[in-house]
This record gives sequence, C-alpha cells and structure tokens, in this order.
Amino acid sequence: MLSIRNLNVKYGEIHALHDISVEVGQGRVVAVVGANGAGKTTLMTTLAGLLSPASGEILFEGKALPKEAYKILGCGICLVPERRRLYANLTVRENLLMGAYLRKDKAGIAADLERMYDLFPIMRERVKQYAGTLSGGEQQMVAIARGLMSRPKILLLDEPSLGLAPIMVQTMFKAIKDINAEGVTVLLAEQNAFQALDMADEAFVLETGHVLVAGTGKELLDNPLVQKAYLGVKH
Amino acid sequence: MFIQTLLTGLAIGGIYALMAVGYSLVFSILNFSNFAYGSIIMLGAYIGYYAMVKLGMPVGVSIIVSILGSATLCYLNERLAYSPLRKRRASSLFFMISAMGTSIFLENLVYATIGARFYSFPELFKTHNLAFGGISIGLLDVFAIAFSFCAIMSLNLFLQRSRTGIAIRAASYDIDVCMLNGVNITALIGLVFGFAGALAGISGMFLGMKYIVYPTMGWITAKAYIAAVIGGLGSLPGAVVGGVLLGVLETFVSAYVSSVVRDVFSFSLLVLLLMVMPTGLFGRFLEEKV
Repeated sequence: MLSIRNLNVKYGEIHALHDISVEVGQGRVVAVVGANGAGKTTLMTTLAGLLSPASGEILFEGKALPKEAYKILGCGICLVPERRRLYANLTVRENLLMGAYLRKDKAGIAADLERMYDLFPIMRERVKQYAGTLSGGEQQMVAIARGLMSRPKILLLDEPSLGLAPIMVQTMFKAIKDINAEGVTVLLAEQNAFQALDMADEAFVLETGHVLVAGTGKELLDNPLVQKAYLGVKH
Repeated sequence: MFIQTLLTGLAIGGIYALMAVGYSLVFSILNFSNFAYGSIIMLGAYIGYYAMVKLGMPVGVSIIVSILGSATLCYLNERLAYSPLRKRRASSLFFMISAMGTSIFLENLVYATIGARFYSFPELFKTHNLAFGGISIGLLDVFAIAFSFCAIMSLNLFLQRSRTGIAIRAASYDIDVCMLNGVNITALIGLVFGFAGALAGISGMFLGMKYIVYPTMGWITAKAYIAAVIGGLGSLPGAVVGGVLLGVLETFVSAYVSSVVRDVFSFSLLVLLLMVMPTGLFGRFLEEKV
C-alpha cells in the first residue's frame, strides 16, 4: 500500500534519514521503534508532506505522493503529529471538524462524530470545552479522533503514548487495535518499544537515520540486539 | 456634551476597530506586524475618491469599489512580498522589514504618480446632522458606527460558524497541523489578506470622508496598532474592544482636556499598558503559543 524506496531526508547539512526502504501492507500495523533523534518523526513528517525528501520515492497505492501536505491527506494518508498538537483555541468539536476539513458529506461527518464519541466516550462530555483545557490523555484521544475524521486509509501515529499515564497508554494501544480492526492501516512510531512491537504485524528499528533491523513484531521482540538496546533485557 | 462626545468617540472607535481587526487578522495567522496595512488603507481612500469624484459613482458603489480594490491590493501584497518569505520559513522579523519596505514604497509611489496634493471628498455627509434631544451627530458618524459594527459582526459570525472560519482560527494557532488537516494554507492566507484588505477599504473610505486623502494618511494605523495591543495582539474581540475604547478615550481627552494632548495620551497609554499588561486584555492564547 505504502512503499518507501531509498528515501533520504536532509535538514540543511544534517542527513536525517539514509536510504530508508520500507513497505507497509494494506490493513497492517507497522511499528517504527528507535531512540530520540533516530529519525522517526522526520520519517513521519516527510510521509505527511511537511518535509520534502532529498531523494528516493514514496509510492502510495502505486502512485507517487503529491508534494503538498493537503493533497497528501486527500489521498488518504493522515498524520497524528507528535505531542498531539491540538488547536488549544478551538473546542473539541471544532478540532474534530478540522479533521474532516476536506470532506463535504455533512451527514457522514455527523455520523463519524458520533462514532468518535463511542470510540472515546470521555470526549462526549468535553465537546464544548477548549482543547487546551483537556488532560494529556484526553488530548491524545482527540488528536487520534481528529485524524480519523478524515477517513484515512493509513493513519500515521507519531509517539501516541508520549507523556501519558500508564493506564492511558493501555487505553491508547487498545484504541489503535480497534481502529486497525476496522480496516485502517497503521504506521506507528514509538519509543515504547515493547508495546509497539507486541501489537505490530511488522516493525523496523531506526538508529541515527538508518534501518538497523526489520522483521515481524515477534521477531524483533526476540532479537537480542533489540532486546538489549530498546527493551532493557539483560543478557 | 457627554453623550455627544461619546457618540463621536464611538464613530472614531469604530474605524479604529475596523483597522485593528484587519491588522490583528494578519497578525494572528502570520505573527508579524503588517506595517504595510496603513498604505493599503491609504490606497483604499484614493480608490474610493477616484470612483466617487472622478468617475461620479454614488457613495455606496464607491465604497464597494474601494473594498474590492483594497482587498485585491492586500492580497497582492501578501503574494508578492510575504509568500516568498513564508515558503522559506523566514522569521517574523523579516516579514516586518518587508512590510515596512512595502509601506514606504507604496507611499512614494503615490507621491511620484498622483502627487502630494490633499484631496477632499465632497461635503456630502459632513453637513448633514441628525439632531435629537439637544444632541447632534453627523450622518457620516452614524454610518461609520453602523457600517463598522455590521462588518465586524459578519466577520465574527463567519469565523465562528463557517468551515473556512474555523480553519482560519485553527491556522492562527498552528499552521503546520492545519496543513496536515488538508487546508490549502496558501489559499487560506490569501483569503485572510483579502478580508483584511476589505476592512482597509471601508476604513480608508470613512477616514477619507471624515478628514482628507493624502499619501501618508495611512500612519493613522499607528492607532490601530495601539488598539490591537490594548486588546491583545492577535485577538479579534480584543481588537474591537481596544479600538472602541481608544476612540472613545481619545475623544474625551480632546473634548475635556485638549486636542493637543490627544496623541500624547494614546501613546502613553500604549507604553503604560505594555508595562502592566503585556498581553493586553484578551491575549491569553498568545501566551500559550510562546
């Protein structure tokens, strides 16, 4: 569904991603794990069109991605950015409506709003509140719901568990599973490597902009290198 | 005398509010002081004057011509001067310098082509007064109050209710996420400048009719900046409250103290307010942004 081939991304002189090649299959959960500064966010923002690649190609359903971010969303690729980035000056409902910005089907949008409140019941009580007043966990739910409002084919989640209380992390991963079960492909960047690898069909480890190792989630969980560096298992 | 002064103050305040809203709209989305805005207002006045006096159009049509002209100029201002900077992700300082350059360029362009002459609108409204209960108010002032009020209310309704309005408010908080949500940000910013330009057209027209039309008349936007700062930069309700407040206070100072100290008062108010309340009356979201 999404093919990344020999992708290189640079910030001026800094070479942030080196020859990344990854395939994300339809209906899959693919996890990207790695430490801070490994290039996870760079990869995600490049896929969403906020950064332009220095070289390499990104194909979505066999076609090259458009350049502008808003057209990429139109193709069905939606990024839920790191640290949630809700519009603090808008209400929860308005945030969700912004997620559906490109859609014209009013009835469908209204139905999807209801669906989001069912998926994250706490949001129903918060619809009229300014998003800036929500707790971190609630904000993350609204951020994911805002992403889903665009009816994406593939959802890119950048560090959804960052800064959440442990119980919220569980809720979050469960929600991601539910979303995937409904047919949305998920590309998940996480520092929380164990949880991410546990739920991923496939995964790869990024280290200083290179793909260090790739395989199924299970394979990486059993990989001694990954265990030592990212899962804190002592050998 | 009191009510008389209040009404005159409201009329001035309405025009300040229009300018402050236009200025704040741009500030809220691109985070820089658009010093070229005054020149757009000045050109709006010239366009209105030309339409009304040289082409003999009726007042209503002239106002519309002035609105359309200023909106187009403001849009072009963004496309030519700011858009290239935005694409390079330049810091807001460069936007401000570019804005100052544009302002000086436009003023001198008017000097070079039209000349430094002062133009005055025909005495159409100035002599018409509405008198009731011992109070007399110029018809022009009534129009200014009503028109500013309607323009600001419809803009507010648009920003609160419409899909594009929500997107403009969203972009004022986070442009990158707005792009992720599928907003064509270039088109949206163009639209915001168009709106700001339309408000510039209305205020230019009223300023021209109330006073006179001349190349540096745009410097009156200094008052709009003060109004916007009083209200809280980037906040639209703040700009309205700030504009009306400043207009009324100024008029009272002119009437009860002396018109000579009017500007001394306004600018002292600005400096004082920045010391006590740097974010203005409604500037709370800006704090979070930093």
